[in-house]
Order: sequence, then structure tokens, then C-alpha cells
Amino acid sequence: MEEKVMVAKVGKSAPDFEAGAFSNGKFTKVKLSDYKGRWAVLMFYPADFTFV
Amino acid sequence: MAAVAARYQEFQDLNVEVLTISTDTVFTHKAWNDSELVRMVPEGVPFPMLADLGGEIGSLYGVYEEEEKVNFRGLFIVDPDGIIQATSVLPPPVGRDVDEMLRQIQALQHVRATQGAEATPACWTPGQPTLKPGPDLVGKVWKVWKPS
Repeated sequence: MEEKVMVAKVGKSAPDFEAGAFSNGKFTKVKLSDYKGRWAVLMFYPADFTFV
Repeated sequence: MAAVAARYQEFQDLNVEVLTISTDTVFTHKAWNDSELVRMVPEGVPFPMLADLGGEIGSLYGVYEEEEKVNFRGLFIVDPDGIIQATSVLPPPVGRDVDEMLRQIQALQHVRATQGAEATPACWTPGQPTLKPGPDLVGKVWKVWKPS
């Protein structure tokens, strides 16, 4: 079977993901699809202790 | 990070959640927040900082840099249907502009609210005139809009 490659492009569905997160003092899990119904901004950056 | 954290309320007012993503662990995120970021934003970072171990999420979004093993400064604005509506990518040494992020969100939300009946011209900010795309506007933009 051909592997489906997700491509992040304007007008296409945002590839879903789940990841561990540090959020308001707690360690938690975050899933992008949990934010459906709201706008979401994904901000990638190279590394902590640098600026964004 | 701190620049966005300091203006988080403006994102919240627009019904926008912010997720930041780097290849650091959640423990490093906590250490950075607790040791440095709280000195810039008193309550600390008010949104989730995600641990993208191995750059898996960055790879999905095309911003993971294999050689350095870090994510570039990719920005993705996702609408309530889960559709990507805007992207931009900057290299590590260049920071983003929070005003421009908010402006893009407001423009996207305006276009969505009008179901595409209105478009926002260059440098548009809320309150400024919009354009109504259609046959009547072709060749006539100069009558209704001029660069400032």
C-alpha cells in the first residue's frame, strides 16, 4: 500500500498530532484535534532558552 | 515566546489557542519557564509548550531541520474546521512579529465571517475598508483602494 504523506499546506487539513506538554505548571498531553471549533496557532521554534 | 505570552489575552479575545512546539522535553520547557520566562511575563507562559521529541510534528509540518535537529520558526494558523489558513517560516535567528500574527488572524476571521464575500487588501487592519471581489471590481481596485 502506498504511504500517505501528510503535507501542511494552506487550504489543507492541519496534520493531527498528540504530544506531551508543559502547561500552566503541569505536565499534560495535547492533541491538535481537541481544538476543533476554535482557532489555533502553532508556533514552532528551535530551542528553549532562545527567543521566539 | 515571552512576546506572545505577554499578549496572550489578545489571542484569547479572538478565540485563538496558542501552542508552541520545540524538540525540547517537557522538563526543559518547565525549567525555561520557571527560571527565565517568569522574569519577562510574571505569571509564566499561559499556554501549552509541546515536546516534539525527534521532530516528528515538525516533520509533519515541513519545518524540521535534519542537520541541526531543530524546528525552524514555523507559524501555522488553523481555523475552527482544522484547516490551515496561513503559514510562514523564518530561520532561527529571526523572530516573529506578534502584531502581524494578530493582524493575519483578524483578516482571516473577517474573511471567514463574510464567507469570502469580502477580502482584506494589503496592510489591512480591522476597521479599514475591505474589497468585494467580483466582476465589477476587476480593473477598478484603484477607485476604492490606494496604498498608504
